[in-house]
Amino acid sequence: MSIYDGLTAGKPAVVVDFGARYTKFGFAGEFSPRCIIPTQVICPSSRKLRWVFDYEDEADLYALLVTFIHKLYFRHALVSPKDRDVVVIESILSPTKFRDTVAKVLFLHYEVSSLLYLPSHLIVLAGLGLSTALVVDVGYSESQVIPVYEGVPILNAWQAQPIGSKAVEERLRKNLKEAYEEIKNAGGDASRVLKPIDLDLETLPDHVIEDIKVRTCFVTTYERGKAMADGIRPPQPPFADYRLGGYSVLRIPGEVREATYEVVFERDNEQSSLANLILESILKCGIDTRRALAENLVIVGGTSMAPGFKSRLISELRRLVKDNFYKPKLYISNFKMHVPLVKENVASWLGGSIFGATDMLPLRALTKEKYFTLKTVPDWCNLATNELYLSKLTLS
Amino acid sequence: MSYLIQKEYVKYECTCGSLKPISKLYFCRHCLELRCGYCVCHEVDSHYCSNCMEHLPSAEAKFRKNRCNTCFDCPNCFHTLSVRATTRSAEDGNTKTPTKHYYLACFFCRWTSRDVGIPDQTTGTGNWPVKELPFQETLNSYLEYYKVLAMRERNLKEKKTYSSPLIRGYSSFSEKFGLTSMIARKRAGLPPLSLGGKENTQSSLPKIVPSVAVDDVEPLPDTYFTDLTKITTLSQRHSYPMLQAETITSLHPQHRHFYIKCSLRCRRCEHNVSKPEYNPGSIKFKIQLAAYYHMPEVRIMTFEPLKIGKPSEIILKITNPTQHLTSLQFGSLINSEERKNLKTEEISETKKEKLPLELPRPIRNLQINTDVELPQCSVILPPRDDAAEYDDSADTHNFQDDTKVVVWRKGNKVAVKMKITPQNGMEGGEESIFGFSMEYGYVNTMPTLEQKQPLRAEIQVNLFISRATYHLRRIN
Repeated sequence: MSIYDGLTAGKPAVVVDFGARYTKFGFAGEFSPRCIIPTQVICPSSRKLRWVFDYEDEADLYALLVTFIHKLYFRHALVSPKDRDVVVIESILSPTKFRDTVAKVLFLHYEVSSLLYLPSHLIVLAGLGLSTALVVDVGYSESQVIPVYEGVPILNAWQAQPIGSKAVEERLRKNLKEAYEEIKNAGGDASRVLKPIDLDLETLPDHVIEDIKVRTCFVTTYERGKAMADGIRPPQPPFADYRLGGYSVLRIPGEVREATYEVVFERDNEQSSLANLILESILKCGIDTRRALAENLVIVGGTSMAPGFKSRLISELRRLVKDNFYKPKLYISNFKMHVPLVKENVASWLGGSIFGATDMLPLRALTKEKYFTLKTVPDWCNLATNELYLSKLTLS
Repeated sequence: MSYLIQKEYVKYECTCGSLKPISKLYFCRHCLELRCGYCVCHEVDSHYCSNCMEHLPSAEAKFRKNRCNTCFDCPNCFHTLSVRATTRSAEDGNTKTPTKHYYLACFFCRWTSRDVGIPDQTTGTGNWPVKELPFQETLNSYLEYYKVLAMRERNLKEKKTYSSPLIRGYSSFSEKFGLTSMIARKRAGLPPLSLGGKENTQSSLPKIVPSVAVDDVEPLPDTYFTDLTKITTLSQRHSYPMLQAETITSLHPQHRHFYIKCSLRCRRCEHNVSKPEYNPGSIKFKIQLAAYYHMPEVRIMTFEPLKIGKPSEIILKITNPTQHLTSLQFGSLINSEERKNLKTEEISETKKEKLPLELPRPIRNLQINTDVELPQCSVILPPRDDAAEYDDSADTHNFQDDTKVVVWRKGNKVAVKMKITPQNGMEGGEESIFGFSMEYGYVNTMPTLEQKQPLRAEIQVNLFISRATYHLRRIN
C-alpha cells in the first residue's frame, strides 16, 4: 500500500451525492464536501433555471446533467474530469433511468476512468463505524427507511413515503394562505397580530417558502403536536417577521411556524407517518434483529436538521410502539439514536468519501472499458449483467 | 463584437449537431471540422484568485483546496472581505505605544470579523484562525479502519485468483522458467515476503470506537427564534459545508475560492482548439481556433416583409475572413446523420474510432418552416485584405457576377440575394426559419508531416437563419 501512496494520492476520486434539491460534491478521503449546491442549472435550450430532477425524458436529463456536471467540475472541483474516478452516492430506490444516464454522461461526455455507485443507506454507516443500524433518510421528495444488519441492507423491509421537505413546504404554503384568508374574513381580534396583505401567497417563489421554512419553522414537542391533532389550540409561540425585500414584511404566525412540520408526523388513516414507517420496517425484519435495529437509529437527510426533529421522532416512536396496533406485535422497550459526527445532510456523502478513499474503489468500480463492452451499467435486476444469474445459466 | 450579445439570427450547425452562432464555434484545423463548447474536451488550465489575481500551479492549488491564501469571502453576503486596520494600545497596559490591529470587514453588508468574536490580528496578512472539523480524529480512525479492511478484501481476492487450478501448478513450470525467489522461499518453508511491507493479519485491523447510540437527543430549544436576522439562510449554511452555521454568531469567513482558465481540446484529434495564456491578467490566447477566423460569416443585411405563401427577398452579407480566395456554393440542407456516417467511414480507414458508443446528439428545437430559393451559380469571395479597408480606389470589380444574385460587393464582402417563402400553415407569432447548406473552399495553411504545401479542402456547413416574428403578416 505504502508504495502506491504517491500514485493514488495524486488523483483522489470525486464523490457526488445528487440530491433532489441539493447536491453534495467533494473529494474522496476528505471529511466535508467542497460544496453543497442546488441541483439546478440554466437549461441550455430554453435558458430557464431548471431542477435537474424535473427532467422530461432521458435526452432531456442527459442535456441537464451535462450542464450540471460541467458546473460541478469547472466551477467547484476545478479538476479535469477526464481519467478520474467518480463515486456516486445514490439511494437503492433511485430510478434506473437516472442511474444509466449519469453513467452515460460521465463516461461518454466526460470520459471518466471509472464509476462506482454506492447505496446511500449502507454507506452512511461508514461515517459512524457501525455495521447495524436502521437508516432513515429524510430527503426532499421522500423519506426512505432501510434497515442494515451486519453490513447487509434488509431490502424487503424498505419503506418509503413522500414525506420530506417538499411536503413540508407545501404545507407551509397552505397554512400561510389559510392564516391570511382567515384574517381577511374575520378581522377583529385576530387581526391584531396579522394584518391583511396584498400579496398572493400562491405566487411566492419556492426558494422564499424554503427560506421561511428553514428560518422560522420548527418541530414542536410530542405533547403540543398531539394537542394540535386533537383540535386543541395550545398557547401560540411568538410570530416572526419575514422580510420579503424592501419594506414588505410577511408576518409568520406562531401557529404556522409550529404546525408546518406536523405533516411528517401526522397519523392519518393510512398510518403513514414517519414513525409508522420505521415501525413497519422493523416489523418486516427478522425477530432477532429488531432490538438491535431499534437501538441503532440513524437519521440522515437535510430535512431532519430542523430544530427538534429528532427529539420529536424518538418520542413519537416511544408512544407509538405502545399503541394498540403495535403492542401485540413488537416487543421493543427502547429506541436509541446515533448522533452523526457531521451534519445530517452530508452524512451519506461522508460515508462515500471514506469508502472512495480505500482500495475498494478500483476493485468494485465499473471501468470505462467494461462500460463500453457492456454498454450498460451492471445492476442486479438486469439479467444480462447479473453474475449470480449468469453463473447459474452456465451450470445447467 | 455586437453579435456576441444580440439575438442569434444566423446559426451554424456544429459537427456534433448543436446549433450555435459563429461566435460560439471553433474550427479544428486538423480535422477540418466545426467544434463547439459541447463537443470539445474541457480541461482545467490554470487556477487563479479573481480578487488578488494570484495564480498557482495546479498541484499547489490542490494543496490549498482551491482556495486563495490571502483573500476571504464574507460569510454573510459572499462579497470579498477587506482587511481594515485600527490603531490602539495593547491590552496589557505596559506599553503605551499604540500598535496597529487588523480585522476583516465586508464593505457591502458591513459584516466584520469582530461580529463573531475573531480576535484582531497584529499583521495585515494575519494568520486568521481556521476552523477545524470536530471529530477529525475519530473520522481519521474510521478511514484507516476501512482502508485496512479494503486492503484485506483485495488481498483475499488476489489470493483467490492465484490459487485457481490453472496457476496452482506453477511449480511444474519452475524448471522451464527458472525458480523464482517466491517459490524458493516457499519450498524452504519460509513465510512469503510481504509485498507492501505491512502485515495484513487479523491483528493489524485498527481499533475503532463506533458511534454510540444515545437515549436523549437534543430537544427543541425553549426559546423560539423570532429574530430572523440572527438565523442564517440555507445558502449561507451551504457556502461552508463543514460548518453549516445555524446562527449568525457562528459564521466564519472562508478563503476565497479559485477560478480557472479552461483550455479546449478537440475530442477526435486531441489538438487544442483554444488555449488561454497562463497569466490571469491577460485575456489573450495562445491558441484560439475560433470559427470566425476560418469560415465565411453570414449576416442578414436586409429583407422584405414576409408574407405567408408569398416569396420575398432577403439579402445576406457574406464575409471571407481568411487570406485565401474562396468560392461559395449553396445547396439544400445536408442530412447531418448521413454526413456523419460518411465522415466516420473516412476516419475508420485512417484512425481507429476512439469511442465505441455514439455520443448523444444535443436536443434541438428548431423547425424549418420557410422555403428558400437559392442561387444556382457559385459566388467568388476575394481574400481579406487589411490594407484595402482604407483604400477606396482599389475596389476592382473584375468578377463576372450574376446581378440577380450578387447585389453588392466590396473587398472580401459580398451581398447575396435569396428568395424565401414562409410555408402555409404558419401561425402569426411564429418565427420564420429557413436553412441551407453552404459549401466553400478552405485553404489549410497548417503544415503537417506529410503535406508541406497548403491544402485545399471543400467544406460544407448547414446554416439556419431565423427571422423575428413581427415581420410575418398573414394575407387574407
